[in-house]
Amino acid sequence: MKLRNTTARWGAVSQLLHWVIVALIITQFVLASIAEDLPLGMEKLATIARHKSVGITILALAVVRLVWRWVNPTPELPGTLKPYERVLARVTHGTLYALLFAMPLSGWMMSSARNFPVSWFNLVQLPDLVPPSQTLYEIMHETHEILATVLVVAVALHVLAALKHHFILRDDVLRRMLPFTRTD
Amino acid sequence: MNPLRGWIRLAALIALLAPASLWSSPASHTRYSLDPAASSLEFTFLQAGARSKGRFRKFDVKLDFAADAPETSRLEVIVDVASLDTSDAERDGVLRGPDLFDVARFPQARFVADRLVRVAENRYEAVGVLTIRDVERQLRVPFELRTAASEARMTGEVTIQRLAFGVGQREWRSTEWVGDDVTVSFALRLLPAAGRAGQDE
Repeated sequence: MKLRNTTARWGAVSQLLHWVIVALIITQFVLASIAEDLPLGMEKLATIARHKSVGITILALAVVRLVWRWVNPTPELPGTLKPYERVLARVTHGTLYALLFAMPLSGWMMSSARNFPVSWFNLVQLPDLVPPSQTLYEIMHETHEILATVLVVAVALHVLAALKHHFILRDDVLRRMLPFTRTD
Repeated sequence: MNPLRGWIRLAALIALLAPASLWSSPASHTRYSLDPAASSLEFTFLQAGARSKGRFRKFDVKLDFAADAPETSRLEVIVDVASLDTSDAERDGVLRGPDLFDVARFPQARFVADRLVRVAENRYEAVGVLTIRDVERQLRVPFELRTAASEARMTGEVTIQRLAFGVGQREWRSTEWVGDDVTVSFALRLLPAAGRAGQDE
């Protein structure tokens, strides 16, 4: 498989970024739901610290991914799509990309507002984006949760669309993002 | 009149007017009290790899300072531990709880130094005992002191180990996610007590 994208298929780098981010986002939902039910103690500190570290990792990978997309061809949408389906695909992909930035940034702001600064895996401390403020913390917490819901909806659309392409339309839209598969 | 009686009266007058202790110590002490509105007492701790800051909102400082004999100076700091503030009510509650400061049993922390050591121009070390919870430890606190007629500014910081004072029981003994080192920093404005300048003890 080629490293770079072609107009027909995602290259290895794009595929790796896509699937690593998928795994990290699932990790984020698991860590967040574990932390939510814990009282403030060592276990909660540890869980949230990991959630923040993974979030910053996603933010960094999102930057790499966007840059890589700009310097590579993008595989084209199949010509069989209806105009509204093209719009829906664009909007869904745009939303997913935007959330790769908005989720970590809102979480980071939330941490700063609560005076729980962010460290990336205990290695690097990141600067505070906003000063401590209870009001701002509550706004960002709410934002983070709403964005998480939007992410679930967008991912559901994305997955359903991919499955439709594969099983109903029987085109190679899903396969071209999968390693170890051939596309015609 | 008997001239001897006149001399005795004069001697008695001098003895009454002159502060007796002026003869035993040449040091001239100034008593300072805290200007709380212009003073801060902060602590920095490492939590999950990130430095976080908190502060105490209520504390009192008394300094009895002799510039020409710092070793006779005295510094007393009393902190209302429950006034701690880390910008997060939930964390403040945990810090006040039994496993950390246990403010119900130990409402005050104290630092009492019964001598100061001059280390350089305007720089001193307060040598004394820090008490947090029920643990007393010797501590030297370096600071800078700049005095003027109307005020004194005292700034400095010292790093202590929270576990040495029992701040961290049970799960909080672990230093994996909350570091042992805590840096305490202070910037104080002190006011000379009105009419209390001079030796008075």
